[in-house]
Amino acid sequence: MNSITTIISNILAIYRRELQSYFASPLAYGIATIFWLLAGFLLVILVFGPQGLLAQSAFADQAGLQSAPLDLPYEFTQFYLGLLGSLAMFILPALSMGLYTEERKQGTLELLATSPITNWAVALGKLLGVVTFFFTMVLPLLVLEALIVGSSDPPFDLSLLFLGHGGLMLLAAGVLSLGMFISSLTESTVLAAILTFALVLVLFVIEGVASNIPGPTGEAISHLSLLKHYNDFTQGVFDISGLILFLSYTALGLFLTAQSIEAFRFQRN
Amino acid sequence: MIEVEQLSKAYGSTVAISDVSFKVEPGEILGFLGPNGAGKTTTMRILAGYLPATSGTARIANHEVHSNSMAVRQNIGYLPETPPLYPEMTVEAFLYFVARIKGLPIGDRDRQVTSAMERCNLSEKKNVLIRKLSKGFRQRVGIAQAIVHDPPVIILDEPTVGLDPKQIIDVRNLIKSLAGEHTIILSTHILPEVSMTCDRISIINSGRIVATDTPENLTARLAGQLGYAIEVAGNPEQAQAVLKKLNQVESIKALSTEGLAENHHRFQVMAATEQDPGSAIAWAVVNANLGLYELSRNRVSLEDVFINLTTEEPAVETSEPSSSDNDEESPTPATPSDATADTPSTEEETPSDSDE
Repeated sequence: MNSITTIISNILAIYRRELQSYFASPLAYGIATIFWLLAGFLLVILVFGPQGLLAQSAFADQAGLQSAPLDLPYEFTQFYLGLLGSLAMFILPALSMGLYTEERKQGTLELLATSPITNWAVALGKLLGVVTFFFTMVLPLLVLEALIVGSSDPPFDLSLLFLGHGGLMLLAAGVLSLGMFISSLTESTVLAAILTFALVLVLFVIEGVASNIPGPTGEAISHLSLLKHYNDFTQGVFDISGLILFLSYTALGLFLTAQSIEAFRFQRN
Repeated sequence: MIEVEQLSKAYGSTVAISDVSFKVEPGEILGFLGPNGAGKTTTMRILAGYLPATSGTARIANHEVHSNSMAVRQNIGYLPETPPLYPEMTVEAFLYFVARIKGLPIGDRDRQVTSAMERCNLSEKKNVLIRKLSKGFRQRVGIAQAIVHDPPVIILDEPTVGLDPKQIIDVRNLIKSLAGEHTIILSTHILPEVSMTCDRISIINSGRIVATDTPENLTARLAGQLGYAIEVAGNPEQAQAVLKKLNQVESIKALSTEGLAENHHRFQVMAATEQDPGSAIAWAVVNANLGLYELSRNRVSLEDVFINLTTEEPAVETSEPSSSDNDEESPTPATPSDATADTPSTEEETPSDSDE
């Protein structure tokens, strides 16, 4: 259908522009650099540090605990991807904070709102753009991981890594989508970043809160936790409820963004 | 092409525009003229579908701007008050982006983007980042994005702000060249702009349309009428009474006495249509034993019409409608008292503040 090609072409136009602006933005490179430095640092500590996996393994050898060999691939994916997830919690709000606040400051929201393009297409294009940028941020880390995985004996189960990284991208999509909604509410980039970080923090630690609430309520709340479901992925457990949760957060963020921009157009006083 | 009927918009309890109605015929350029804060931008935003009206309807190409927003968006090019630009993009990349979101078919994009850049004199800047452009160039990119998809209706909010005099002339010529094929509505607070580019003018003040007509008719409305500035020494009530008795005089208003000698008073006298009360005024004043210090005839310009229509109580002080940022381009709208500076004064004692 003609209308569907139009919509796809619109989404692509927004997507390309968004991606282009990240790659042209010194701020985005700054964020990426911090991310790479921290991630690389954590990886080295995790493997070679005094409490690292190699040290642990050597200690186990010396103590003669051969009966319980260390499951290195498991330890690696779980700890390393767990760390990446925590790191993402700080990095993602910084990526999503400017999604709409900048449009507002530059007045370009007025261009988008008066062009034959729906709020949905704009929000989806933007989200795809920022998720792609985060994906490219993770790519160089794969080189580091490949070094470790390549030298592992017995050979690494790659499906474990794929699942873990898939979980990371799903987590990122959910957080970025909610962050996009928050950035659509305000004109202040800093405020958007702080609010998004606060929300992500709550969604990360909500499991701990929920464990103090007895009964099905606590159970239900604990399911909202990002950390709980993300940890499932990093442990190599593919849980459909985790997938659904992350996709729901993503869809919720998209829906709320489109609604807030529409509401902004309707009652601006 | 554009039909606006009884449009009103309130922000909370503040009324931005009220009961605004006008029409723009296909191929016409309508100038939307008013002092700053008169409601021009609000009207433009409603027309572009960016803001909803509180009441009333606006239709573009027979589509209601709010309820049928998508259809309207396909028919308009819109330059908002601040040009909507992505600073990190090059001029050409930005125009391609706009061409895409405006739904221009792939085959037409190259031609349209090139043509928009040529029309706005941007070709040599096409690979420059928008961030590095001067204000004048940014404004031109703003105009280019409004015309890149060749829309039937073009809405321009203050298109010449920030341009130097030569660029202003270029933009005016550009706008004129767009007329005919396109229907254009442009807002401005600069008088010469509308009189030079527009077929018709709507003057808006405090959210209300006070007049809609061609520049010629608007001038003619007051041009058939002569005005005299007069300075007398003596009792002001007596002077007014004497002047009122004259048949040829339609109205008298007292002007500021600032800068005048003691007991001197100035009046602006408007003649009845097709009458010239010059000598009668002189006779009447002298016969009443009032000192006549100045009697000068002033012509009516479009500026006077503007002042006349946008000044709430056209008497006492006539300085408030002159907006603060039109200095670069237009002369500050002449107040009736200032107009005496244009005509040779009959007396040596003209107020010193009428020079600037």
